[in-house]
Amino acid sequence: MGFNDFILLTGRSNPKLAKFIGKILKKEVFEPVTIFSDGEIRVKIAHNLRRRHVFVIQSTCTPVNDNLMELIFMIDAAKRASASEIIAVLPYCGYSRQDRKEMPRVPISSSVVARLIENAGADTIVTVDIHSEQQQGFITGPWDNLYASYSLIPVIKSKRLKHLVVASPDKGGVKRATGYARLLNAEGIAIVYKERDMAVNNKSEALEIIGNVNGKDVLLVDDMLDTATTLVNAANLIKKRGARRILASTTHGLFTGGALEKISQSAIDEVLITDTIPSKPGVLQNKKITVISVANLLAEAIRRIQTGESMSKDLIL
Amino acid sequence: MLIFSGSSNPDLAKKISSHLGIELSPLDIHVFPDLEKRVRIIDSVVDKDCVVVQSTSIPADSHYMELFFIIDGLKRSGAKSITAVIPYLGYGRQDHIFRSGEAVSLDVIIHILENRGVSKVIVFDLHSIRIPELFNVQVSHLSALPLFAGEIIKNKWNDSDSVLVSPDMGGIRRIKQLSALLNTMQFVAIEKNRDLVSGTVTADTISGSLRNSCKRALIVDDMISSGGTIQVASKLLKQHGLSEVIVFATHAVFSDDAVKTLEESDVEKVYVTNTIYVGKEKQLEKLEILSTAEMVADELR
Repeated sequence: MGFNDFILLTGRSNPKLAKFIGKILKKEVFEPVTIFSDGEIRVKIAHNLRRRHVFVIQSTCTPVNDNLMELIFMIDAAKRASASEIIAVLPYCGYSRQDRKEMPRVPISSSVVARLIENAGADTIVTVDIHSEQQQGFITGPWDNLYASYSLIPVIKSKRLKHLVVASPDKGGVKRATGYARLLNAEGIAIVYKERDMAVNNKSEALEIIGNVNGKDVLLVDDMLDTATTLVNAANLIKKRGARRILASTTHGLFTGGALEKISQSAIDEVLITDTIPSKPGVLQNKKITVISVANLLAEAIRRIQTGESMSKDLIL
Repeated sequence: MLIFSGSSNPDLAKKISSHLGIELSPLDIHVFPDLEKRVRIIDSVVDKDCVVVQSTSIPADSHYMELFFIIDGLKRSGAKSITAVIPYLGYGRQDHIFRSGEAVSLDVIIHILENRGVSKVIVFDLHSIRIPELFNVQVSHLSALPLFAGEIIKNKWNDSDSVLVSPDMGGIRRIKQLSALLNTMQFVAIEKNRDLVSGTVTADTISGSLRNSCKRALIVDDMISSGGTIQVASKLLKQHGLSEVIVFATHAVFSDDAVKTLEESDVEKVYVTNTIYVGKEKQLEKLEILSTAEMVADELR
C-alpha cells in the first residue's frame, strides 16, 4: 500500500480544520454525515475504503453528544466498509475533564467515551493536548496525544517577549508550563494556586502566586479556555504583582458563559487560541484574540502515521 | 429494586414507579455551559437491582450519552444488575446497511449498552422485529397494540363499518397482530413509496379488499415522525370514500412540523402512547395519550 492510499473523513463539528489538513496533505476530505428530520444522524461514505487507512477527523466540542455520535457512526461505517485501519483524530476531545471519580457514585465519563470510540472500531486515537494524559490507559490500543505547542511556539516566539516567565493558572498545569518554559528558554515559571482561608469556614479561597512575575513578560498557558474565569483571575493577580505584558496561550477555545467579555475586561494583553474548536461568534472580532491553526500539526501526524515515522520527535513534548 | 429516570421522560418513570409502589431514586444530572453532562447517583446502589428509564427520543444523541453515563455510574458504584427501560429506542431505523458505506448505528449503540453493563432491556414496538436479534442480553419487546385494541373495543370501532389500515407494507405484521386481538377484524395496507434520497413519501394504492360499506379507517403505525405518512394515507383513504380516519401510533416522535401537519390533516383523532414525552405545546386537541407505565411495571415485576 502506498503513502497515498488513505482517506480523510470529517463530521460536521470542524470541517474547516479538516479541509485545511486535507489541503496540506493534498487530499480530498469526505463529509459523509447527513441528518434525518428527527435529528438522528446518518452516515454514508460514497468512496471505496477497502484495505485503506481511514482518518476520521472530528472534534467533540459543543454539541458534544451529537458530535460524538457522528464520530462513532463514521468509524462504524468505515469498519463495515472494510477499512484496514481506522484512526480517530479528535483535535478537541469532549468529556476529557470527567476523567476520575471526583465524588462518590459518578461515572468516569471520559472513560466511557474513549471505550465508545475504541469499541466502534478505531485502531488508534489521536488527540491534541488532552486534559490528562493518564486517559490513554482507558483503551487498550494506541493513543497519540499531540501538543499544540508545535503550532503555537513559533507564533509565541515571534512576539519577542522580554524576561519571559511562563505561568500556570492552576496547580494542575505545572508540567505544561515547565514544557513551554523549556521550549521558549524562559527565565522561569510561576504558579497561581488557590489557598484556603481557614478562618472563613474552610470555604473562602484566595489566589496566591509562587514565582516572581514583577517586571516580567508573562505567558499564561492552559489546555482549555472555557468560562475563562480561572485564566482571567490568574492574569489579574499576575498584573497586580507587577507583570509587564501578559500573553495567554490556550489550546481549546470553548468560550462559554461570558468568556469573551471577561477577557476583554481583563489584564490579559493577548490570547492565542487554536482552531481545534471552530471559532464561536465574537471570537474572531475580539481584538485580544488570535486564532492559530493546528492543521500543520495534525497533517504532520497523519503523514507520519502513513510513513511509519516516530511521533515523539517534535510533536510530543 | 431501585428506579432511576434520565431526563427524557421523567413523567413515565414516575408513573412506572408509582405502579410498583416505590419512589424514584434520586439522580443528579448537571449540564455544563458547553453542554457536557455530568451524572451523579445520590444514594448507595451496592448489590441493588437498578432500573434506568430513558427514552432516546429527540435529541437522541444527548439522551443516549446520558443513558451511557448513568449506566457507567451505576456499574462503578456496585449495582448488582442494570435494566434499561428504553420505551422509544432511537436509531431503531438504522438497523442494517441500506446503501453501501453506511453505518449500522443501532448496532453501535447496542454494543455500548452491553459493554457498559446492561443486563436487560425493555423496549416498545420496535421498527423491525429483527432488532432484538442484535442484542446479546435479554430483551423484552413490549407492544402498545393491546392498549389500542382496548381503546377500539371501548369505542365500539371493531364493527363491520371499520377497517384497520397499515400505512405501508412493512406494517402488515403489526396490523395482523392487532386484527387477531380484535377477533380477526378486517384490514388493508397502503402501498407507500419513500424516496431514499429526498425522503418524500407517496401513497398510491390500497392493497386488500375495502368493502363499500366501510366508513371508518383505523390507521396503525409504530411511530409518527414528520406526520407525512399519516397525511398522505388519510388523504388517500378519504378519496376512497372513508369518512372518518383515526390514527394509532406507539411513538410520538413529532419531528419537523408534525403537530401542524396532523392538525391540518383529514385525521379525526390521533392516539399515541407516552413512550416519548409529549410536551404541552404539542398536545393538539385531537391527540389522546395512552400510558404504557403499567405494562412496564408488570414486566419489571
